[in-house]
Amino acid sequence: MIHAGLNAYVLLSALLFAIGFFGVLLRKNTLVIFMGLELMLVASTLALVAFSRFNGTLDGNVFVFFILTIAAAEVAVGLAIIVALFRSRRTVQVDELNALKH
Amino acid sequence: MSNLPFDPLLLAIAIPLAVAVAIACGLPKRWSIRLAYVGFAAPALMALHTWFYFAGQTQVHGYAYLTNYSTGLDGIDGLGISLKLGLNGISLPLFVLAGLVGLAAGLYAIQSTAERLKIYLMLLLVMQAGLMGVFASVDVVFFYLFHELALIPTFIMIGIWGGRDRSYAAMKVTIYLTAGAMLSLIGLIALYVKSGAPSFDLITLRQIIAARPLGETVQNNIFALLMFGFGILVSLWPLHTWAPLGYGQAPSSAAMLHAGVLKKFGLYGLIQIALPLLPHGAAHWSHTLAALAAVGNVLIVGFITMAQRDLKQVIGYSSVMHMGYAFLGIACYSVLGAGGVVLLMVAHGLSVALLFLLATSIFHRTHTFELTEMGGLAQKTPVLAAFFVAATFASIGLPGFANFWGELTIFVALWQYSHCLTIIAISGVVISAVYGLRAAAKVFFGPPTEAFARVAAQHPPSDLNWREKLPALILLAALLFIGFWPKSLSTPLDATLHAVYAAPAAVSGK
Amino acid sequence: MDIASLQTLAANNDWLAIMPELLLGCLALALLALEIILPAKLHSRLPAVALLGVLALLVFQLLGFTAGFVESESFNGLLVHSREGQVMRVFFLLAALLVGVIGTISLAKQKLPHTEFYHILLVVTAAMMLLVQSNHFVMLFVALETVTIGLYILVSYFRSSPLTLEAGLKYLIMGALSSSILLFGIVLLYGVAGNPELTGHTASAMNLDSLHAFLAANRHNFLASVGIVLVLSGVAFKIAAFPFQIWVPDVYQGAPTPVTAFLAVASKGAGFLVLLVLARTFSPYAWLLAPVLTLMAAATLLFGSLGALTQHNVKRLMGLSGVSHAGFLLMGVVAAGTQSMAIGAIYFYLFAYLLASFAVFGVMALVAGPDDADQEISHYAGLAKDSPFLALVLAIGLGSRAGIPPQAGFMGKLFIFIAAFKAGLYGLLTVAIVGVVISIYYYFSWIRAAVFSSSTLPDGDANARPARTPVSFTTGLVLGLLAFGTVLLGLYQGVLGQWLNTR
Repeated sequence: MIHAGLNAYVLLSALLFAIGFFGVLLRKNTLVIFMGLELMLVASTLALVAFSRFNGTLDGNVFVFFILTIAAAEVAVGLAIIVALFRSRRTVQVDELNALKH
Repeated sequence: MSNLPFDPLLLAIAIPLAVAVAIACGLPKRWSIRLAYVGFAAPALMALHTWFYFAGQTQVHGYAYLTNYSTGLDGIDGLGISLKLGLNGISLPLFVLAGLVGLAAGLYAIQSTAERLKIYLMLLLVMQAGLMGVFASVDVVFFYLFHELALIPTFIMIGIWGGRDRSYAAMKVTIYLTAGAMLSLIGLIALYVKSGAPSFDLITLRQIIAARPLGETVQNNIFALLMFGFGILVSLWPLHTWAPLGYGQAPSSAAMLHAGVLKKFGLYGLIQIALPLLPHGAAHWSHTLAALAAVGNVLIVGFITMAQRDLKQVIGYSSVMHMGYAFLGIACYSVLGAGGVVLLMVAHGLSVALLFLLATSIFHRTHTFELTEMGGLAQKTPVLAAFFVAATFASIGLPGFANFWGELTIFVALWQYSHCLTIIAISGVVISAVYGLRAAAKVFFGPPTEAFARVAAQHPPSDLNWREKLPALILLAALLFIGFWPKSLSTPLDATLHAVYAAPAAVSGK
Repeated sequence: MDIASLQTLAANNDWLAIMPELLLGCLALALLALEIILPAKLHSRLPAVALLGVLALLVFQLLGFTAGFVESESFNGLLVHSREGQVMRVFFLLAALLVGVIGTISLAKQKLPHTEFYHILLVVTAAMMLLVQSNHFVMLFVALETVTIGLYILVSYFRSSPLTLEAGLKYLIMGALSSSILLFGIVLLYGVAGNPELTGHTASAMNLDSLHAFLAANRHNFLASVGIVLVLSGVAFKIAAFPFQIWVPDVYQGAPTPVTAFLAVASKGAGFLVLLVLARTFSPYAWLLAPVLTLMAAATLLFGSLGALTQHNVKRLMGLSGVSHAGFLLMGVVAAGTQSMAIGAIYFYLFAYLLASFAVFGVMALVAGPDDADQEISHYAGLAKDSPFLALVLAIGLGSRAGIPPQAGFMGKLFIFIAAFKAGLYGLLTVAIVGVVISIYYYFSWIRAAVFSSSTLPDGDANARPARTPVSFTTGLVLGLLAFGTVLLGLYQGVLGQWLNTR
């Protein structure tokens, strides 16, 4: 059995965070951007659990529940906005959503 | 002894403001004008009252009529900002000047046919309140605050009632003057922070700095901030370009108040605050200031003035040029020089206001400011011509007018400072005589030009009416009064200057 | 019940310490309940209920009913009740009240339900009040997210307008991104501070006091500095500081005017309070904090002022000029690193900013037509002639924002400048002067349009201008009070000044 050290977890979470971050910056489809955002939150929860385990404190584990709740609320509001926007504009590509310019 | 049951300084600020607020609240036009008379007359009466009874007043820390109104910031650990009003020998002449020019500008505005007269009067009243406040404030923050209060209406008045290029002029004036004001504000903050004073009021600042003078580098840096900050406001060459443009476009009463009084804010700040508190800084920068003023303001601007063809531009540039003398007086750094500057400020304020007033009256008769299109107006309007010639004589500095004493004192002080600069300055008088007399001659004497003859045929020019004459008379009378009896101002001025400049002068003498 | 007995109660029952927030939450729920119970024709009264409730709470707070809890902790150190917290409660309640008043104007022009707007407004306000009092990262993050998610809904509230929805989506993406960055920073700090191999490691690494102690013991930890930068970036999004200000113009333009005001004032105020708390926590890392914040302040000042120069839409203009205000406040935060008076200056600035901004936003809501995103400077043409009162309020509000005496904004800038000068931030002061001069230019172009437009602006499209809403008694009273307060606070700092003094 392979023992994964703290560094492996932190590295993985940093990688996930980076994937999510660049996904948000580079992708054009709003839904994919949304997935990137969720990925960033998941990266944080992974690191939290790992730190919590290796530091021997429980705060991190507790925090994860709060984050999950918040993420759910964010998704609910976000999807509502995206659906409403799709109804009126018939697109969810960010480069076509540029009516707000001067 | 004056024993008024109220504070004349506070009322001089509050009454015009109150009238302005009343007009803003929608007073009908007829009542607005009646109240405006009160709003303009009250500060002038208060100013004359304080002048008349000044000698008999008990003085606290060199200030008469000293009162303090809390703003909630003057606690023991506080920043030490409070509305502190008082007059000393330096501020008294300017307080009187502000009152008189304000009254004249107000009277002239009321008789003018400006559009939206109510807003015009309201803005002038706000400006008037600010001006009275500037010279009555002992607290540095309020000194600055009142200046801005007076400055903002100027921008708006240029923007609404200005001439052809009013948009450009309003923007340029706004940006130059805001930049100058911000620089001087930073300088004043620097003075407060570096001195470690617990309060912004000048009395405390003076005491603290007398006990513990600032370091030389600090003084040099702060003086530079104040010199260039105030310098922009007073149109120090080469930062003067806003002035002729702004005055050219500004409506007459605004130009009278700004060129006559508000512009003196910078010089007053230098004399009241910068010179006594920063003697090393003043000594360090005096050569630069003297060179800029002598070569730039007096010579270069003097020649530019001679080349002007537009009457308002001539007056605008000439006021920039006369500020050169004031800067030279400041550069001397002596009681004599500073005293001369204060006298010149009063005299120039009165005479330039009179010139702007008369220029507008001329415009109403000739419908042009172009000197080349005028001529022969004296036959039709002898009184106007007499007033204008008198004002020109005053502006040149002939004996009998207040300007003479100001310029003479500055030249004497300057002679002790540098012979070469004195010669340049005196040659400036010749320049101003040339353009001043030539302008008067072009407008009033000689044969009428064809263009003017055409205008005169359509609108036969009438002489000054009483409503124009009254403000002009107020200004001319003040010029002559001070010209024949300069002691009325110079006695308190001398006492204050000796008290304020004594201690630092000893430091710089070492 | 006297203060002493309240204090003994507080020892056993922490809920009393957050009474204002709880009552606000109850009021929000009561609104929803009332909408179900009451007949439909009474629904139009619900906003008034909400506003009166907030007003009552404001009085409740001003009378000092929670003063007994000052300088105490509650909920095991999740919250710290400081005097600043008390002042900020007043700030947020005031902001909510004013947003509500502006909301009645703007919502009347739309066919949308009203009650939910006030419900979310109250919840967000309560969360802001908790946010500025939190002393623990979990509390801080949860409160911050409650604010942010509530604001997503408010920004996209006018859901019939595609522009508003677009603004909502942009705000959502940017907000969620910044929250994620902030969260990752928190996680890193938590991981480092709890690491048993480091000296001074702490069991409660999420607690800001413990974290401060840990950072003081490890002044050059790499992961901790990465965490600090990430947390600061997250907060920089909220206060719209450079380089995280890109969302501002679009979101401000698209959001409903009352929400724009809420974003500009309350959300920004909350962000700055969080920044102050965090700057205090991170103070051992001043070597990192000071240059980052200084650069941020300078860039924010310049970017905001220059960006605002070219705007024609007043909401975008307010947004970008708000960015330059954030620069001034950041200057105060930098100065607060060494000068305690800077903190007082920041509070004063925030209050001056609140009064002036709501005065302007109030006028904006009245001038705006049914299309809330379409508010051009040219629509203000001739305002002085049609409604001198509105023009005066607008001029006072803009003048205060520009920092022209005698309005309060001047005093705010003066205090910040004094603090910055005491802290020796000469470079920043130079940038600030440039910022002020530029800001005078763009504020003046707006005032010029309102006051002397007939001659300077093309008047041909006067018919294209949306109809202005007549000023009702309540609105007039509120706007008048705001303008009066702005001038009064500029001349007489009184209570607020004394509070500043005794800091």
